Amino acid sequence: MSRNLANPSCVLYAARNLVIEDRPVPEITDPHYVKIAVKKTGICGSDVHYYQNGRNGLKVVKSPMVLGHESSGVIAEIGSEVTSVKVGDRVAIEPGIPSRYSDAYKSGNYNLCPCMVFAASPPNNGTLARYFMVPDDFVVKLPDHVSLEEGAIVEPLSVAVHSCRLANVTFGDRCVIYGAGPVGLLIAATAKAYGATEIMVVDIFDDKLELAKQLGATHTYNSSEDRGASEDDNRTFQLAAFGGNVPNIVFDATGVEACITAGINLIKVGGTFMQVGVGKVKIEFPMAAVGNKELTVKGVYRYSHDDYRLAVKLVGEGKVDVKKLVTHRFTFDHAVEAYEVVSQGRAVKCIIDGPEDAE
Amino acid sequence: MSLKLENPSVVLKQVGEIVIENRPVPKLQDSHYVKIAIKKTGICGSDVHYYTHGSIGPFVVKNPMVLGHESAGIVVEIGADVQNIQVGDRVAVEPGVPSRYSDEYKSGNYNLCPCMVFAATPPYDGTLARFYTVPEDFVVKLPDHVSLEEGALVEPLSVAVHATRIAKVTFGDRVAVYGAGPVGLLIAATAKAYGATEVLVIDVFDNKLELARTLGATHTYNSGGDRGLSEADLVAKQLAALNGIPPNVVFDASGAEPCIRAGINLIKAGGTYVQVGMGKDDVNFPLTVMGTKELTVRGLFRYSYDDYKMAVKLVSENRVDVKKLITHRVKFDDAVKAFELVRDGKAVKCIIDGPEDI
Repeated sequence: MSRNLANPSCVLYAARNLVIEDRPVPEITDPHYVKIAVKKTGICGSDVHYYQNGRNGLKVVKSPMVLGHESSGVIAEIGSEVTSVKVGDRVAIEPGIPSRYSDAYKSGNYNLCPCMVFAASPPNNGTLARYFMVPDDFVVKLPDHVSLEEGAIVEPLSVAVHSCRLANVTFGDRCVIYGAGPVGLLIAATAKAYGATEIMVVDIFDDKLELAKQLGATHTYNSSEDRGASEDDNRTFQLAAFGGNVPNIVFDATGVEACITAGINLIKVGGTFMQVGVGKVKIEFPMAAVGNKELTVKGVYRYSHDDYRLAVKLVGEGKVDVKKLVTHRFTFDHAVEAYEVVSQGRAVKCIIDGPEDAE
Repeated sequence: MSLKLENPSVVLKQVGEIVIENRPVPKLQDSHYVKIAIKKTGICGSDVHYYTHGSIGPFVVKNPMVLGHESAGIVVEIGADVQNIQVGDRVAVEPGVPSRYSDEYKSGNYNLCPCMVFAATPPYDGTLARFYTVPEDFVVKLPDHVSLEEGALVEPLSVAVHATRIAKVTFGDRVAVYGAGPVGLLIAATAKAYGATEVLVIDVFDNKLELARTLGATHTYNSGGDRGLSEADLVAKQLAALNGIPPNVVFDASGAEPCIRAGINLIKAGGTYVQVGMGKDDVNFPLTVMGTKELTVRGLFRYSYDDYKMAVKLVSENRVDVKKLITHRVKFDDAVKAFELVRDGKAVKCIIDGPEDI
């Protein structure tokens, strides 16, 4: 049982070779850092790629790596210069630490820092262990009424917040989101919180579309029957499903070429298209439409200044009910089973508990 | 003579009293720092204000303080983690180091960091000494053809760059600048470099307006005779000075209430007004005009990400001839004279040499 290990960690050795082993307890050496006892961790699609294939696109696991990056926990120790949190505080953990000296950081875009150290992105270890350490400005204190489980979902919610802020979503906006995975669902909920009045989520599973409605989507569309339909027909069907509304903002949370094409065809002239989902490196893209419709096309990569804080605020104010995403829960010692379940595509969001305290 | 002192420094002891005295040679604060032998330093209006008043707004000189913040020099020592700067490099020195942990720094606005350590803003010492230290990303290497004197002018030029970038000056813009002090002059030159096609500079001294023209202003206006005119008449005259077409971008580099009011009244509807100059804390401001014209009014404070680098580039590519601002040059040991000169309003930009080598 992991409870009697000093720092039990879920370590990926190779594809489908995930073990729990003890690792040295990390020690604080920089006075700005805090040590967190990790209590809840969500599994992300990227983790699943590493689990199934030992890689995620170009990022390859070359040596054993601790998994996990969507975590929350309780502060166990603080460095000598830390004043913003104290031992015992419950926090959401922002798992990517940039260089404080980079141009990207200095210009307000630390998510793009070339020296970013991101949990569970090789070769960096992740959060699925007893302890994890970050600087104190990379944790956000959870209000008393926000649970640690909700705290773990702050990570994907921050991606949704970053997407909505980059798109400048505001009252009256009409949004279409392709993909009802956790990120797409959270974008729908966040866009609603930011004032969008018509929000349609498009996917091929009715149960996911139902969940989208519970999270704030005003319209949904199941496109599973439309393979082989022409681009014009796709546009007609989706426009009808949206009640004749033409969206001024479209988010792609699939990475799939057909969805991206549909989104560009559907979007209003002058609109903003947000590429959130990660798919093939190169696709066929309707570039002429970008010119003719004078579109703004923006990429989204993780999250940046203030997104984490705002995500916690959205949960704290009851604006986004992240609990609705949790479909599976496992104890730490059953982490491997958790990854198997998620690999089979049966979960929306699966939460793994932190290791139990030693006896 | 300062020649024999290890680290001779120009110190403001109290209001009205500046002396040269020796001070400990600064050490590198951490492995990212570099140590610079200061060679050229320009005097700024703020330095003189501390000399004559001992304070600027909330910043009060409570202890003796080394003056100076517009400097360039030669790197003499580098920390262990310094990668892009070498001993011997000639650099412009960015004199304000923020906290790397602040929200302001992290959001791309480090100039607004509440923990900013700025040279010669109390209680922090300035650059008018033999040596000064900053982290390596707060120096900008000067190309070989750019002199150290020009390097010292990069500091006020960076304010002009920051102003111009905030206003998003671009080709075809019509710009008006109130105030032909060094900052106003450099804003005119920078706006021109960024593509403005009409640049009007307004002041009360013909010689400064002439200098504005040599720096790129396309129009000038001497408002010295206009005291007592109604605001409508003032605007009409300034508009006429710009051939009857209002500016869409206005910079106030005077801080003077009549200029601020004139600028808001002159600017085109939908335009952008940038407050650069510092004057009274509270002024009578035409708020209704701001509303009905749907103006964007922006404040400005020093300079931020990339401004220093852009300023060096402007000089290097000959887009702004900063040398034209220099009216006086003084040796280190005559620093007190330099401050008196500037205090008495006799200089545009006065440069003080670094101490001679031992």
